[in-house]
Amino acid sequence: MKCRRCSELAQVRLPSHHTGFCAPCFETYFLRQVERGIHEHKQFSKEDRVLLAVSGGKDSLGLLLALTRLGYDITALHIDLGIPVSSQGARATVEAYCAAHSIKLHVLETAEKGLPIPEVKKRVNRPICSVCGKIKRHWFNRFAYENGYDVLATGHNLDDEVARLFANTLRWDQAYLAGQGPVSPAEGKFVRKVKPLCRLTEYETAVWCFLNGIEHVLAACPYSAGASFTGHKKLLADLEERSPGMKMQFYEHFLQRGKPAFQAVRAEAPPLNECARCGYPSSMEVCGVCRIKDQLEA
Amino acid sequence: MVRVLIESTGEQREFRALKSVTQLLNRLGLKSTEVLVIRGRELLTPDRMIGHEGEIRIRHVVSRG
Repeated sequence: MKCRRCSELAQVRLPSHHTGFCAPCFETYFLRQVERGIHEHKQFSKEDRVLLAVSGGKDSLGLLLALTRLGYDITALHIDLGIPVSSQGARATVEAYCAAHSIKLHVLETAEKGLPIPEVKKRVNRPICSVCGKIKRHWFNRFAYENGYDVLATGHNLDDEVARLFANTLRWDQAYLAGQGPVSPAEGKFVRKVKPLCRLTEYETAVWCFLNGIEHVLAACPYSAGASFTGHKKLLADLEERSPGMKMQFYEHFLQRGKPAFQAVRAEAPPLNECARCGYPSSMEVCGVCRIKDQLEA
Repeated sequence: MVRVLIESTGEQREFRALKSVTQLLNRLGLKSTEVLVIRGRELLTPDRMIGHEGEIRIRHVVSRG
């Protein structure tokens, strides 16, 4: 197979684009897709201070490299979850990458905030992935808000977005469908959240990391076995193989046609309160994260 | 002999010969967009020939949490 742009030998085949690229042309394509996602959805500009949530996986580290190459003002934030072996490896990977590329990095430990994930797992009788996600979202937003960042970026890619959309659609969860997308606007103590990899698949981010020699975490989180998103991704991969481009179509058509309808429903929802403990937005008197903390302290 | 290392499990497989990457993926029951097929410092597209010898790494791309 030959590269579509320069006719050299291709290293990457992209069925959804009916094309293939050599390594240098793939890099051009990848950066253009990131830029296109940022501009199309008005995510942020070169003047914004962007905080990027970095886990140590391929998506967040790959995005860190892409945004740095594109000349954005990026600071990385890593949350150390305190999971034995796994968290130490992830933190070391992020620290090594940021040190090697002179990228500003902050590390926040959930244990210091009274929320070590192994303890949370023992004490909370709910799927740990959703609880851990809630804690991470709270602290990513809180750090960004308290430190004056304009935007919080995450490495969610097209596959993540489509799997989430599929899960939300299966439940017809109107609130989540209204809120899903590559940009969540700033509101009160919520900073603007963006997903610059929304036009790129996991395969493409993995290729980008490989071609750029990015050492990222390969092992799965030891607590993630049985996570529902993995099953959804398999189903969607089967559909994509039969109909290349289906994922992008599903996502883009949702953003154009589905999301506005759900947002209209959401507009009638009551406003959020401020959590009585931490002061951050909550639908209840005390937010979910403070309630988890209470359970651990009880 | 073609030696294939599956990175996620550490499993190693050997094949006498493989006509192409597509044949390898079919033998392993994998889709071309769920793994990177790595030979040395390059990625192989499904149409690439493999032949009778060499070392290949298979890297799964799907995040597992």
